[in-house]
Amino acid sequence: MTTRTRRGASALLLALALLLAPAAAHAGLPAAYGALVVEPAMAADGHAEFDLSPALARARRDGKWLYVYLGASDCPYCRKYEAFLAQNAAELLPHFSKYLIVDLRSALAIGAKALYLKVGASSLPYAEFQARLGDERTRMLVYPSVWLLDAAMKPLMQMPAGTGTFQTVDEQLEILRLEQ
Amino acid sequence: MNPTKPLTRRALARAALAGAVAMSSAQARAAIGGLPSAAHGDSSPEWENLRAKLFGQRSVTIGAGKVQLIVPLRAAYGASVPVKIVSLLAQTAALSVKRMTLLVDKNPSPVAAVIDLTTEVGQADFETRLRVDEYSHIRIVSELSNGELHMDSRYVKVSGGCSAPPNRDQLHNLGKTVFRLPSEVRLNQPTPADVQVVHPNDTGFELNNVTVMFIPPHFVRSLKVSYGERRLFDAELDFSISENPAFRFNFVPHGAGELRAEVEDSKDGHFSGALAVPLAAS
Repeated sequence: MTTRTRRGASALLLALALLLAPAAAHAGLPAAYGALVVEPAMAADGHAEFDLSPALARARRDGKWLYVYLGASDCPYCRKYEAFLAQNAAELLPHFSKYLIVDLRSALAIGAKALYLKVGASSLPYAEFQARLGDERTRMLVYPSVWLLDAAMKPLMQMPAGTGTFQTVDEQLEILRLEQ
Repeated sequence: MNPTKPLTRRALARAALAGAVAMSSAQARAAIGGLPSAAHGDSSPEWENLRAKLFGQRSVTIGAGKVQLIVPLRAAYGASVPVKIVSLLAQTAALSVKRMTLLVDKNPSPVAAVIDLTTEVGQADFETRLRVDEYSHIRIVSELSNGELHMDSRYVKVSGGCSAPPNRDQLHNLGKTVFRLPSEVRLNQPTPADVQVVHPNDTGFELNNVTVMFIPPHFVRSLKVSYGERRLFDAELDFSISENPAFRFNFVPHGAGELRAEVEDSKDGHFSGALAVPLAAS
């Protein structure tokens, strides 16, 4: 198999994974949160690129911070966090008001090397993007992941890998209040 | 009065390790939300147990402004939680910090480090990184030269520190010990320095993804640092210290000299590293 064919097959597999995403039960953040959904653009070499530029422009326009959620269609921990948000929407939603919520819809097949994040003309693979932000989560891509950013892409707080430590209402509120 | 004979740190670690190995499969899972929360200054059953074993009946003072522990409520990874210990007194001949005990209440082996230090450090501040296995208090107990014990604690929320995949990229450099000076050297003043040992610091709870067997424990257990002929500190360590154990500490250069570290690990590996310290013109 040539490199070109391998890349093509890889791209096809990733595209298939994303195509199947809607079949996963309730994948993505609950509709009540009004998230800006970002689907990836699939490149010929198989990498998936999420463009954050429209979200940043909107956050600047609306004077909001960003709550960027990266979920995977086939990730049980993502479903768990999304279910937690759905169950507690009435209590949590008012506290999200200063954030523009962004829902990056990925798949577990898209690992750190295949996941690119784009801002303006700059498109960087996960680890490089994290290093550029000064985020310590460079070593391992964990689904789901959350970033808290201001409209200039500056992290508001170092976030943990995964969402396991903020799946109670009190703990989610700690995160939204930026409690370190 | 000290009616309860404190266990040695190593005996305590061995006992904890034996218990932990039996429950290793339970440790190898990510924590979930909704675990009990606690205030930073709270006690815990684990701490009460450790206190009796390590310090017997001695009084441990909290909040007297002698030592401060700085740890984020949540860290990026449970396997690498940044910890900063700040002593709020200078190291003088009259009064100094002579020993620090760093604890993680809920870790399988809770005594992460016991650091015996001299006045040669000038200022008894340390920074390192810890593995934290589940929601837990981290504590520092400072023993002063007058016998007083002072404690500060922080509650941290992490998940899966001990089950995080190990980094095995640098095994060919195992034991390589490197010093670094993050800022300029200040003659006769406390000057910060970093020392790092390349080492996986395997906990014994990590799975080899190929063999699906647990990787045996293999960790740095002793780090002795000196400057010239003067001892700075000796640390007994455990696998609660993150892989590639690293410490920031202070030393007081009185003249030209060499920082030197002697390292031993749990498989009787001996390593060393040194750095000739350039003195500033001033």
